[in-house]
Amino acid sequence: MARVLIADDASFMRQMIREIIEPEGHEVVGEATNGIEAVDLFNELSPDLVTMDIVMPKRSGIDAVKAIISEHPTACIVMCSALGQETLVMEALQAGARDFIVKPFKPDSVISTIANLLEKSDD
Amino acid sequence: MALDMAKYRQIFLEESTDHLGEISHALFDLEKEMANGEAIDTLFRMAHSIKSMAASLGYDPVADLSHRMEDRMEGVRSDGRVRSQEELALLFRSLEALEAMVAAVARNEEPPVADDELLRLLAEDPSGRVPFELASPDPVGGEPKKVLC
Repeated sequence: MARVLIADDASFMRQMIREIIEPEGHEVVGEATNGIEAVDLFNELSPDLVTMDIVMPKRSGIDAVKAIISEHPTACIVMCSALGQETLVMEALQAGARDFIVKPFKPDSVISTIANLLEKSDD
Repeated sequence: MALDMAKYRQIFLEESTDHLGEISHALFDLEKEMANGEAIDTLFRMAHSIKSMAASLGYDPVADLSHRMEDRMEGVRSDGRVRSQEELALLFRSLEALEAMVAAVARNEEPPVADDELLRLLAEDPSGRVPFELASPDPVGGEPKKVLC
């Protein structure tokens, strides 16, 4: 089971992710509402996994990924993308994000994506 | 697993009402200064956020209209400014339509479909008049579209 940091400016999305992953035994150790908080909380909490929204105020999710990966190359980050963000998702993956989940979230897909990443991290 | 959608409907109403207020403020700022970068960015993010929430709840008219606003604002962001008074008026009109939709949800009614002309105008590129190519939002329960990897 993993310690998870959720980064999303929408409370709606943060609560939805929390409700999907907590029954799987994962612990949400922090919630960030913008890209700056995401980087700060990552450094403070050292989570096993981050769910990172792309569009956030102050610092975008992609910039936050770049900042985290530059300091923590093995960080496990999953992007939360929406329709029409294919180019941004590709940029985030090139910056070091491991995978992505698509809004609107399908709970089973979120759970399996996270499980697959954690399994790979254990290898 | 099933999520408690009644709870998310309430959160949607609270957050989208806040977001519509922010869009309104941003539009008034743009009325004074059409190249106000902060207002442009706020409008883009608020439309994006409303789209994602509405799509999660299956409020297709809200998701469709906010998606087109978001796309329109992406062009505005690229150009660094609202490009005409007509474009600003179109964004005000979109805000009014979104407010009516959210009000309908608050009354436990289906949100009304936006009129075709508004959707068509939003999808037109103000320079080349070429409609953007748009996809339909996919509500919870639909197959997620992993378009990459």
